[in-house]
Amino acid sequence: MEPAEVEFLAEKELVTIVPNFSLDRIHLIGGDLGPFNPGLPVEVPVWLAINLKQRQKCRLIPPEWMDVGKLEEIRDQERKEDTFTPMPSPYYMELTKLLLNYASDNIPRADEIRTLVKDTWDTRMAKLRLSADSFVRQQEVHAKLDNLTLMEINTAGTFLTQALDHMYKLRTNLQPGESSHSQDF
Amino acid sequence: MSEAYFPVGPGLGMEENFLSLDDILMSQEKLPGRAESVLPRLAMLLGQGAGSAESIPEGSKLEIPLWLAKGLHDSKRRIISVELPKIFKEAWRTVFSADANVVDLHKMGPYYYGFGSQLLNFENPENPEIAQTILQTFIARFRRIMDSSQNAYNEDTSALVARLDELERALFQVGQKGLNDFQCWEKGQASQITASSLVQNYGKRKLTEVDG
Repeated sequence: MEPAEVEFLAEKELVTIVPNFSLDRIHLIGGDLGPFNPGLPVEVPVWLAINLKQRQKCRLIPPEWMDVGKLEEIRDQERKEDTFTPMPSPYYMELTKLLLNYASDNIPRADEIRTLVKDTWDTRMAKLRLSADSFVRQQEVHAKLDNLTLMEINTAGTFLTQALDHMYKLRTNLQPGESSHSQDF
Repeated sequence: MSEAYFPVGPGLGMEENFLSLDDILMSQEKLPGRAESVLPRLAMLLGQGAGSAESIPEGSKLEIPLWLAKGLHDSKRRIISVELPKIFKEAWRTVFSADANVVDLHKMGPYYYGFGSQLLNFENPENPEIAQTILQTFIARFRRIMDSSQNAYNEDTSALVARLDELERALFQVGQKGLNDFQCWEKGQASQITASSLVQNYGKRKLTEVDG
């Protein structure tokens, strides 16, 4: 899966906006949205929020976890624990990128938020690599990792599955089981 | 799915992939061996003589490519017998088990894992140890490949890959690709339209000059 595909899935998440136009309730295949009244907050999917923001038809309200204090707590807890801590949103990386790129004027202290999220991401990726290394070293059969987000799995996944394929084939060398393809003339 | 075509990968393990270019190159590597019976008129082919009618006497030492060794190897009609190349022998095996990270696997034959797996096809009392050594080498070097491939963004990686064999290089590429894709997405380049690499080299068509 490419990062762009993961981002596409992330755009279904709901976020609050304050529109400056009015529109009746609209009926889409995925569900109903609206009604939109100027000045009243309404919840819409991210893809619509970004689109409206680009056309200057709304103001974005950052999600409640996108705040410096809260992200600092999350980052510190991530550094303390050996396992993965639950993240405020299963798409935190994508939402951060989208909201900070398109609506940074609506988000206070955007640069600090970006740095904090990047720190948390780096810590989690390092933990993932450590876990993968111990998995390979001990030749375990399966492992369970909680609280991983799709973007992290996607970035590290292809490498890990290919390496494990190779390891599996090398392990089957150890059993010289008769898949005999020798012919006698 | 942005690749233009998918090359057939090497078939690791005791089977080779017939269509894989990596496997074809790998099976060209030479094995030391001995001729068990007289090989008439083959001296020039195997690099041992100058005349086209010379034959190889019994018991002479030969360096045979793997594909030929696999074809001629048969415990009943003893045409040739193969020995282990020196990197799979006892001395080097202890080097690998001591610290596999320092070995330059590219110099040892750029297809260490593939070649080693193919060697297990010939009956040899040391086969279990060879298989174990290959596996342990891979496990020990895995960490370094993972770290270097996932952390080297936009740098010259030739120093990092110099000591890896072909299988490890392919893994390194995959890791790099994952990293590059992520960074490119984060910069926002994933949604920019760029010309496909397949057509970038086509020159623009010019109007042909017509005389007269």
